[in-house]
Amino acid sequence: MAEEIQNKLLDFITRSFMVEKEEIDLDKSMIDEGIIDSFGLIEIATFLEDEFQIKITEDKMIRANFGSVTKIVNFIEREQGK
Amino acid sequence: MTTKTKNTRCTKCILSCSFPKIKFDQDGICNFCRNEIYFTTENQSISNAREKILKLLNENKGKGEYDAIMCYSGGKDSTYTLKLALQKYNLKVLALTIDNGFLSPVAFNNINRTVDALGVDLITIRPASNFFIPLIKASAFHQIYNPKTQTRISSVCNSCISIINIAALKLALEKKIPFILAGFTLGQIPANSIFYKNNYTFFQESREPILKKLRELIGNSVDDYFCISDSLLESTESYPYNINLLCLDDPSEDEILTDIKKLGWIHPEDVDGCSSNCRLNAFNNFIHTKKMGFNPYELELSHLIRRGKLTREDALKKVADQADITSLKPILQQLGVLQEEIEQL
Repeated sequence: MAEEIQNKLLDFITRSFMVEKEEIDLDKSMIDEGIIDSFGLIEIATFLEDEFQIKITEDKMIRANFGSVTKIVNFIEREQGK
Repeated sequence: MTTKTKNTRCTKCILSCSFPKIKFDQDGICNFCRNEIYFTTENQSISNAREKILKLLNENKGKGEYDAIMCYSGGKDSTYTLKLALQKYNLKVLALTIDNGFLSPVAFNNINRTVDALGVDLITIRPASNFFIPLIKASAFHQIYNPKTQTRISSVCNSCISIINIAALKLALEKKIPFILAGFTLGQIPANSIFYKNNYTFFQESREPILKKLRELIGNSVDDYFCISDSLLESTESYPYNINLLCLDDPSEDEILTDIKKLGWIHPEDVDGCSSNCRLNAFNNFIHTKKMGFNPYELELSHLIRRGKLTREDALKKVADQADITSLKPILQQLGVLQEEIEQL
């Protein structure tokens, strides 16, 4: 399950932000790494809502959930498990 | 497959060989045109956004003094969006203009004529020049923003738009206005960002490295223009939505110009081919092209070409209509920048 989520997310990131999969460190902040900017966070959040049929409320828009690819994947898994 | 060749542009759009991650095939068509980059569900994203935006507008309008703040520059796109907001979506709008000191006098006339014709209240904020000019110089001559951001906007424009965004958000929070409107088009923003909740705290975390650089270069006054006070945040129950209505209608430039001319809108002559309101844009484009090797409007114009909203020939005319160092002299003088400083970039 986590692998499927991660693959979809990485596919979106590589196609949307002009980056190769090998350039993405799964455990580092994509903003700190220069892969996305704050607009990229909006793009990713919108993609997650549409692709995984979840609702991302304001209180969930935190670094602990969006700080890296791994954190995002874990966040999606938690939300889908609810 | 060929890669980057000097002085090459895509034969279908206008992206140049210096654009990040670009590759051309044997026909000179770039990987952006071949749909290898960017998600391809744009029409679906627009359709989803339309449905959600209409629901949000219906649920929230008519509840306060204003339904929306319009970030109104007096340019063609924001003028058209303001008209849409009133006449198509029936919103009560407060227009907000940031006078950066470089707006064309014709743009000011356009602003006044439009708000008068539409019956809209207008607030104008002019940032102190002893803050704004150093901000422009810092943005032009230092590496402030993520290179990713600079694929779609020049650093100087980004600084100016950040001031506008924060001013609009402050006003929305103070007056409890549920929507902030802007005149961005598809190409300037991605299709899945047509609307979003403006969660200041979340975004600000990601902007902190940028603010740190700006504070080091021009001082703590950056916080007055790029941040929102704790007291205002503490009294905030919910953040407004930012919405780009223009992306839902997706009109061509000709359609926009024909429509806004009915309001008395006139195209300024003292701006470059990519702007319809700001004299500083020519400087921004010149610096960006010198630093990055491509015009900051290439991505947007190429997108319009792919959507059939602009011809390649017209797009090329726009990027060709750029200032040279000599014609920039009045702007350089106003900024206190020497020609040698630019040449050294």
